[in-house]
Amino acid sequence: MDCGTCETAPAIEVIKPKVVDANLTITDKAIDMLTEAFGDDRSHALLVGVLSGGCSGYMYDLQIVESTDIDCQELVISGFRVLVPNASSHLLDGIEVDYVDRLMGGGFKINNPNASSSCGCGESFA
Amino acid sequence: MRVYQLDSYVLLLSGRDCLQFLDGLSTNKVDGTCTTVFTKTNAKIIDMVEVIIVGDNVALVGHNQYKNNLLNHLNSRILQQDVVMRDISEFNKVYISFDDYPPSDDITVVNTFRGLIIVAPNSKEITSTLTEDEFNNYRVEQLIPHQGFEITPSVHPFNCGLHELVHEAKGCYIGQEILTRMRSRNKMGKSLIRVDGEPDDAITRGKTHSLVIRKED
Repeated sequence: MDCGTCETAPAIEVIKPKVVDANLTITDKAIDMLTEAFGDDRSHALLVGVLSGGCSGYMYDLQIVESTDIDCQELVISGFRVLVPNASSHLLDGIEVDYVDRLMGGGFKINNPNASSSCGCGESFA
Repeated sequence: MRVYQLDSYVLLLSGRDCLQFLDGLSTNKVDGTCTTVFTKTNAKIIDMVEVIIVGDNVALVGHNQYKNNLLNHLNSRILQQDVVMRDISEFNKVYISFDDYPPSDDITVVNTFRGLIIVAPNSKEITSTLTEDEFNNYRVEQLIPHQGFEITPSVHPFNCGLHELVHEAKGCYIGQEILTRMRSRNKMGKSLIRVDGEPDDAITRGKTHSLVIRKED
C-alpha cells in the first residue's frame, strides 16, 4: 500500500450538523443517583455524548469526567456540570436524563424526542 | 499464479477511535485485520470490506460501486469520535490472488476467505493472470461470492454466503437485531449455492456450474 502518499490525500470532509444550544433536563431520580455517584465533589462533570453503533446507529455515551478534549458546551443543572459535545448537540437537544430503578435493564435512561426509533435496551437510537 | 485485479476503493482511517467506530457499525468483531460487512437497519448489505491494520492507521478495502454508499453511511456517524477518513484509491490498486504471493515491502497482503487480497501502490507492476471469465469460473467452483454479483444491496449476509462474517456475540450494530433473530430461529432465508449448468436464476455462470441464491431444497 502506498502510504507515502496517503498523508497527501485530503481528509474526506465530515458532515458537520449544525451546533445547537442543547437543553437537557434531569429527573429527580437521576439527580439523586448523580448525587450518590459524585458525592460532594463537583469538580467532575457528567459527559452526555453520542457514539456511532448500536442496533439503531447511534449510542448514548454517559461518562463522569474531570475534563475532556472533546469540543463541548457546558451546562449546570441542579449544581452538576453537564458537558454536551457540540458534534452531537443536535441529537441531544431536548433530552431527559432519567434513572430507572429495576433489577434488569435498570440504570440511567435517556428519553429523546429527536429519536425516530430506538432499540429495546434503550442505549441505541436513530 | 492466479491473480486478478479487483475494482476496489481504499479508504484510510486514522484516529484513536477507528476500530471502535468500525466495530460499532459492522457485523464482524473488528479488533484487528479482518473482513466485515456494513449493513442497514434491515440487514441488507452496504458493502463487504477488508479491514487492514497499517501501522497506526486502518485501511478499508471495498467494492468501488458501493463506495459512496459506505462513505455516506460512515460520514454521518463520526460525530465526536476521533476518526479521519482519506480516500487513497487513486494511489493504489487492489488484486486478489488464489495462490501464495511473495511478500515485499511496498505491498500489503492479507489472507481472507476469498484468497489473498493484495494492495499495491500504482508504481508496483502486478500482472493480472486471470481473465474475468477465469476469475468468475474459479469463484463458482469455490463458492466465493463477490460484490456486484452475489453480494449486493438487495441481500443480507446470510443470503450470499457471508455467515462467517456475522459474529455471534459481539453486541449491537446496525442490522444486528434482524440477523440475530434469523440465526437464532434458523430462518436465514435463501442461501448461496452452486448448481449444475446455467439456470435462469444464475447470478454468476462458470464453465459447468453457476452460483444462485435460492431456497435450499
